[in-house]
Amino acid sequence: MSREQKLMADPGKPSKRALPAWWLVFIKEVTELWIGGKALVLVFIYSVFLGIVTFVIASNSELSLIPPKEMIYEAIKNVISVSLFIGLIISADSLSGERERNTLESLLLTSASRRQIIVGKFLASVTFWPVAFVIAIPTVKLLSQGDAAFGPGIFWGAILGTILVLTYVGLEMLVSYWSNSNKTSYFVSISIYALFLVSAQLPEEAQIGVIGRLFQWINPLAAVNHFLSKILMNSINFSEHLVWLEAPIAFAILTLGMLFLYAAPGLRLEEGRGSRLWMRFSRTMGLGVIVTAIFMMGTSPGLALQTWTDPDQPLQISINNMESKTVKASDSIFFDTVVTNTTAEASPMIFVAMNIINLEHEGEPIDPEDWSPERTQSIDSLAAGQSVTLSWRVNAILDGDVMIYMVAIPQPEGKHLISHPIASPGIHLTVTPFTKLSPLGVLPVAMGGPFVLLMIIYFVNRRRNQNVDMGGSL
Amino acid sequence: MVQRKGPNVLSSNEILVAQDLRKSYGQRLALEGLTFTLHAGRVLGFLGPNGAGKTTSIRILTTMMKPDAGHFVVDGIKSKHPEQIRGKIGVLPENLGFPRQMTAFEYLLYFGQLYGQTAADTTAIALKLLNDVGLYQRRNSLIGNYSHGMKQRLGIARALINDPLVIFLDEPTLGLDPRGQQELLELIKNMSHERGAGVVLCSHMLSEIESVCDDVVILSAGQMVARGTVAEVIGRTQQNIVLRNGLKLQVLPTSVAKAIQILKAIPSIMKVSPMGAMEGWLRLEIIEPGHGNAEVGYQINNSILSALIRAKIPILNFEVEGGRLQDVFMHLTEEVIT
Repeated sequence: MSREQKLMADPGKPSKRALPAWWLVFIKEVTELWIGGKALVLVFIYSVFLGIVTFVIASNSELSLIPPKEMIYEAIKNVISVSLFIGLIISADSLSGERERNTLESLLLTSASRRQIIVGKFLASVTFWPVAFVIAIPTVKLLSQGDAAFGPGIFWGAILGTILVLTYVGLEMLVSYWSNSNKTSYFVSISIYALFLVSAQLPEEAQIGVIGRLFQWINPLAAVNHFLSKILMNSINFSEHLVWLEAPIAFAILTLGMLFLYAAPGLRLEEGRGSRLWMRFSRTMGLGVIVTAIFMMGTSPGLALQTWTDPDQPLQISINNMESKTVKASDSIFFDTVVTNTTAEASPMIFVAMNIINLEHEGEPIDPEDWSPERTQSIDSLAAGQSVTLSWRVNAILDGDVMIYMVAIPQPEGKHLISHPIASPGIHLTVTPFTKLSPLGVLPVAMGGPFVLLMIIYFVNRRRNQNVDMGGSL
Repeated sequence: MVQRKGPNVLSSNEILVAQDLRKSYGQRLALEGLTFTLHAGRVLGFLGPNGAGKTTSIRILTTMMKPDAGHFVVDGIKSKHPEQIRGKIGVLPENLGFPRQMTAFEYLLYFGQLYGQTAADTTAIALKLLNDVGLYQRRNSLIGNYSHGMKQRLGIARALINDPLVIFLDEPTLGLDPRGQQELLELIKNMSHERGAGVVLCSHMLSEIESVCDDVVILSAGQMVARGTVAEVIGRTQQNIVLRNGLKLQVLPTSVAKAIQILKAIPSIMKVSPMGAMEGWLRLEIIEPGHGNAEVGYQINNSILSALIRAKIPILNFEVEGGRLQDVFMHLTEEVIT
């Protein structure tokens, strides 16, 4: 029975009250997106992509050795990144596309409030996210290989992904609001997406130190990735890292507040609000974003390393290139320590010793002799302000959660004198047992998702075609 | 047609009053001093060459754009309340886009509900309108499969879905075949007369304005150069045009030579010449037709006709140059431009 027949058959029920405009716009937009529209097609492509990636990981002998915790983290990180791109494709067209297709005017000519129109469009634009996330769950489950991080991964992935998707869809709708053509809207949206994505993918070396961390912290995507990595790979309590969620939440509030409170009431046929003051402001902001991007790209590992020094300590010891890592049993890791004499005098001989404790067994010490070919190294003397770099290798022997830290011990100047050993920041190492994915085992999930979606597309379109007259023009 | 509820009109059936509207884009003045009144049940033609300010005027009156100065009132609602005004007006924009994946019925249902109507009420109105515009049989077809003419009809139905008091139609017959144009013009007349709505019709087709409109506003270079009923505007301008223009008449092709001979003998006629490819048509130029006195000019016309009738030459057509809206339009817009 068509909608018309239903309404004619039971006119009493729906006539009780008029529906709010945001709901009408939402339903119309959702129908356009999901029935023969781009949302279903994009989600189908996304499910194929997920299937291919999963199969490649399982088939490749190197990739399949990635620890499950890291697999979960990488999978959720990529699900969020790809979902943000789908959101971009949908929302960057939401207003500028209507302008281009001349369909916005008839909408603006109705007595519906501008804000309700924006709310309806916004809600429709984010409908892809729960679908995309649910599709990813079997894949993440498969890649987790029974690891306990699967549950937290899904929980935090859903929460953080939702925050980011709402933010980015809002941001791209703002871009679309201020664009007169889809070409401009897509160009600006893709540039913003790339800016956040690239800076979140900078090498680990560029993400430490005050500057590196600052840029990671202010980039919502990088901050969420960092938070997820801490929670999933290092099993750290989330409350210790809540600071990393400040920027994504603040960015979400700013973007959505701007969209609904400032931009929405001024929605009009032409792009933007037509305020010259705003145009000047947005140009300045744009320039600021470009300058920031260039600065972020220039953030070097060296810059990050310098920030570990503490002028109050006569001797400094830092670890270069590493804070935390998840590896498989039998993997080797390499890192450097930098010892610096910050005093105005030459130092005595310095011994640098490696220490490993088991975090899962109340800090029980692990004999470094089994884990490293060299337990200690020595430095004859350091001149005032001089630094020396020492290289280390650790072989992960047993699975578990361990902390590696180095201690620099100045040689005492006499038999009855003492010295003050200095400890470095620790390396939090998660060692996972050796496991391997089976290529044949992942096939049902890799192919099942796209197949189910294909069936849904077929039945939705078939049902739609039954309700409409498909005849050509008269 | 759907019966409209009684309009909350201004005085004497005035449903739209525009007062001294002005708009400029940066340094360029797009519209100045637009003042007019639209009455219920009448069709007002909006005329002007490209860039005259027609689109700006329509955008302002349909609340899509704010004027720099001036104001307007629709059914007693002042222009500072655009959301309320939008509930009272229906608009067919010049370039109206349609969602390709909706059916005509779904499209009207959607827009009807956006005006605050219930689904059941909108259903009844939508089906009635689809019937009125001749799309009832194709109501469940995807709009993407519609022809241009069908889309224009659907656009008109959409403009009427909220039972508007004032209807704005911007170039409604653009791209339609002659039959489609004729049917649409009939529909516009009915909208105005049967529903009691006021219609503002923007068109480049001067003949259709002349045949459908009761009143006319002519814009040129952002200025309003004429306003009034179609007859008033033509009459007022004609007095000036007729003094410097000529006459056109059509006789049987076999009588052309004889007609020229008779006409050349009339002292007031300076020149008689056949009109190119138009068989049987002659153009007459009058010598100082009345020295500024229109009455004298009309007497000359009568003497010409009398001479031909006396000679038993059948007159197929007789036209005073400047006696049509097109001539008035050309004259007025040319004046402002020069």
